[in-house]
Amino acid sequence: MTARRVGSAILLALVLLAAACSQDDGPADASDPVMLYTCVDDAVAQAMIEEFELANSGTDVELFRAPTAELNARVAGDVRSGGLRADVVWACDPITMQGLVDQDLVGGWTPDNAPEIPAEYRTADWVGAAVLYIVAVHRNDVPAPQTWSDLAGADYDGGLAIPDPAFAASALGALGYFAGAEGYGLDFYRGLVDHGAVQVSTPDEVTTGVAQGIYDAGLTTANSAYVAQESGSPIGVTWPEPGAVAVYGPVALATDAAGSTSAQDFISFVISEPGQTTLADAGSYPTRTGVSGPTVPVDAPVVQPDWPTIVTHKDDLLADYQQLFGS
Amino acid sequence: MVLVVLPVARLVEIVVREGAGTSKLILSSPEVRTAAVNSVGLSVAVMLLAVPLGTAMAVGLRHSDVPGRAFWRVAVLLPVVVPEFVLGYSWTQAYGRAGFTDALVGVHWQGVLGPGGVLAVLVASTAPVAYLLAAVGLAARAEPDLERAARASGASGTTVLRTVTLPLLRPSLAAASVLVFVLSLQSFAVPQVMGAPAGFTTLTTKIYADLSFASDPLSFVEAVALALVLVLLTAAVVAPADATLSPRLRVTRVAEPAGAPFSRRPSASRWVAAGLGSYLVVAVGLPLLALLSAALTRAVGLPPRPSNWTLDNFCLVIDQRSIEALGRSVGLAVLAASVLVVIGGCVALLEHRRFGRGVATMSILTLALPGSTLAVALLITYGRWLAGSLVLILVAYLAKLWALAHRPITGALDRLVPEELYAARASGATRLTAARTVALRPMAPALLGAWLVCFLTALHEVTMSSLLYGPGSETLAVIVLNSQELGRIGPTAALSVLLTLLMAVPALPLWVLSRRLRLRRPADTVPDPTRRENAQHARARG
Repeated sequence: MTARRVGSAILLALVLLAAACSQDDGPADASDPVMLYTCVDDAVAQAMIEEFELANSGTDVELFRAPTAELNARVAGDVRSGGLRADVVWACDPITMQGLVDQDLVGGWTPDNAPEIPAEYRTADWVGAAVLYIVAVHRNDVPAPQTWSDLAGADYDGGLAIPDPAFAASALGALGYFAGAEGYGLDFYRGLVDHGAVQVSTPDEVTTGVAQGIYDAGLTTANSAYVAQESGSPIGVTWPEPGAVAVYGPVALATDAAGSTSAQDFISFVISEPGQTTLADAGSYPTRTGVSGPTVPVDAPVVQPDWPTIVTHKDDLLADYQQLFGS
Repeated sequence: MVLVVLPVARLVEIVVREGAGTSKLILSSPEVRTAAVNSVGLSVAVMLLAVPLGTAMAVGLRHSDVPGRAFWRVAVLLPVVVPEFVLGYSWTQAYGRAGFTDALVGVHWQGVLGPGGVLAVLVASTAPVAYLLAAVGLAARAEPDLERAARASGASGTTVLRTVTLPLLRPSLAAASVLVFVLSLQSFAVPQVMGAPAGFTTLTTKIYADLSFASDPLSFVEAVALALVLVLLTAAVVAPADATLSPRLRVTRVAEPAGAPFSRRPSASRWVAAGLGSYLVVAVGLPLLALLSAALTRAVGLPPRPSNWTLDNFCLVIDQRSIEALGRSVGLAVLAASVLVVIGGCVALLEHRRFGRGVATMSILTLALPGSTLAVALLITYGRWLAGSLVLILVAYLAKLWALAHRPITGALDRLVPEELYAARASGATRLTAARTVALRPMAPALLGAWLVCFLTALHEVTMSSLLYGPGSETLAVIVLNSQELGRIGPTAALSVLLTLLMAVPALPLWVLSRRLRLRRPADTVPDPTRRENAQHARARG
């Protein structure tokens, strides 16, 4: 057999496999499965889909779940090869979602029950489904910070870790909040640098590093810290004053799926009371008032970043920050 | 064309069409320059350390009298089995502050989270690739008769190594150098996890940071432009090397390799075993022990004592979904490795022509592309028909790992003597029989080595498959990525331990096969002078 024949046989096999496995990417209608793109935790996404399918028999939800960078790359690939293949996008931060709205890929619709979600978690294009809280994590043998500014004190000299806002949108939300907060500003970060703070890539790496004993304390997400603490890691979690920074994950309808009632039903379900209870049971913080989620200390203070300002000044914020911590 | 040219062309098109005017600004920024210098400097340093290390291991393990040789040959490959990001974590856990050595003897390596740590882990993870290529080179290219002749003429072992063994290995070492350089250049997880705390950025970490905000089209274009810089850097290094070195490095086989390598003092073999043991304890043993400890310990940060041990992490990752995903991953890896060996062989055959050398150089360009960018390129090129299917993931593996198959094969191919094929044909053998009996036998170690390295790499490839999967095409990567998040190191470590153990399954039949291939070599039927001389040594000592 010649090399050309072998090549042809391989090519033919690939084409046949492609025919067998490729998907129909035509417009969605009520009978089509709903395609969900998300970066939320896998356990949350799976639980939500399961509950929705139970409540809406006959409607299937298919899932693509990946971290934000991969999710963005997938969307960018879709857009340049025939259009976004998702009917619903559930992002982990408003910055990502605003980028998709600006490209006219999602938005223009919110469900009827959207007003049941607090106003700070929704816009005309999306509605917040889950919240990440940026909190302080510390080793048990160092004092717990009472305020964020305590972290720039001698107790944490050379032992503080913060997540990189150029990698994690939640860290960018915190940077945006502190940059505009009275008494903080970028001087807060300058103080951290002066006390030897180091930057790691993600909040999860902060939690792991503090639990391992590499760092004394750091900024991380409440979910990550409580999961580690509840499984036995020797760490403490505090919600310092003026408050844990809330970063919400919005869910939106794809513009190409504007007519899909299944996709609309899914979004309505996610923010409904049963949906939010499912989300909370799976370990995520709900946006809906009255649904109790994972651990929140009594009277825990919470602050909201100014998302429109952060979206507008993202590059300047990062550039100023990188002057201090490097890129 | 399908695997490299079209996808890369689509990336170029994106930068030209969507980044007009901004590309120059992106590429001239000081951050990008620093990242590029870091990437190239790191890759050169890794190459300069990993290739000699891998070669030394292969040369050391060449002699059958090394105590525990079968064990060492498997042990040196272990870092390839462990996913890159887990290897980074295990080194931090082994040598960092509050790590294994800190707890045991009160010593930790401050620089483990910084360029030094990144370099060390990349050397540990790429040295097995260099070892494999050098071992394949020794199996296919060594001339024991020449070595014995040199020894008989009074040359020392070092002189024989320098003047006979290593010159014969040059094509394999060139292939290893190219692969190690490019593998380091495209490495992402280790620089991200271990370099970030020291502010050490590379082009790949910069690309990933851009993708994190790639819902803004400009960030996406910047990521693509930086990925193309990696391709250009690779082309700038590899193309001249391929064009000038390849023809000069070829060595014509003078005769059928006969017998075992020349003998050496038994004490030398013991030193080899001791040296290998020490290296493997530091580079693989302690980090893997840390990994096992993380898999067995209830939570990160707890002392690894029996009261804290649990099997929960293993139970968490062994479910129906993981097993199905593992089945797909193994199937894909077997298929990809098999197809790649065929493609790699075809390209290696073409390399004797100028056009063929161009194809060979091209095959390494996609290896340099970060997985995320290559996946986007393939999605853009073929997504319309293949999005979400296993076929697209397979195409991604083929595009990414092509060079890993091709380079080991090309390192051994010039040992084929065409006249022997003509003789077989003239004697009435069919083409298939001639290829099987004349060509495949001397090529078997190279083909097997290429298959193995492709299979292992494909099995735990994370980025591309986690970006390209769809309903019903989840691979192990998706499960790994899910467990990696939320700071759950335990399940990820458990998955890596299982993966390492799983390697024993394909390793065993491969080992049996390689033994059978060796036994069938007529050269092995001649008396082994090494054994005879060792017996004489033993008698003299007795």
